[in-house]
Amino acid sequence: MEIATTRFGRIEIKEEKMIRMTQGILGFPDERRYVLLPHREGSSFFWLQSVDRPELAFVVISPFLFAPDYSFDIPDAVERELEIERREQVDVLVLVTIPAGNPRAMTANLLGPLVINVERRLGRQLVLDPNRYPLQHPLIPDAAPSPGEPAAAGEGHKAAGAG
Amino acid sequence: MLILTRKAGEKITIGDDIEISVVEIKGRQVRIGVKAPPELAVHREEVFRRIQEENLRAAAVGPELGDLEALLAGRRNRK
Repeated sequence: MEIATTRFGRIEIKEEKMIRMTQGILGFPDERRYVLLPHREGSSFFWLQSVDRPELAFVVISPFLFAPDYSFDIPDAVERELEIERREQVDVLVLVTIPAGNPRAMTANLLGPLVINVERRLGRQLVLDPNRYPLQHPLIPDAAPSPGEPAAAGEGHKAAGAG
Repeated sequence: MLILTRKAGEKITIGDDIEISVVEIKGRQVRIGVKAPPELAVHREEVFRRIQEENLRAAAVGPELGDLEALLAGRRNRK
């Protein structure tokens, strides 16, 4: 089927590639159908594009690329909801927030990961324990903070000259 | 909004399967027990709201993204 998107124009998607959210991403309760598009060929970044709302798309990435120790338990009720029977069916993605004008300060939301059953094409956002998982995990640890925010004192990293 | 007055140890039931109990009242803090079916997500409201706000920020990404890949690669090289 063909869908309209603000960023990518009209694109052709396979219906079986669509991911259905059993519960909307928080803040977007009515948008339930998405497709995953690579940012570029071979890119670690993907776009989670809404099928029904052309302007709605999230940048997502696998958390294990930058937080190899990231792990959490999926509640039984969520496993049932997503029809998860085997570990291999599960994929985890996290939403990336990219501040306008300062992409180096981009952060990943490890507190509210997306859990997807890649075989059944079912997904949802989980809410984890805020004492254990950060809402804004910097993807580039020594990135300059967003304009207007003073740099944290005592950060021992080299100046970010190479970026 | 329905407002009820309860003492420590007292409960409120919602429908057939939800039970809210006031476990303990200590100064300005109240411990609340929630018994609900597992498919119902129960969260502290502020956590729920923070994630919701972050999602809204994440969705506000402009079309001009820059070269995300190069940024990430730069990070790896400095490790």
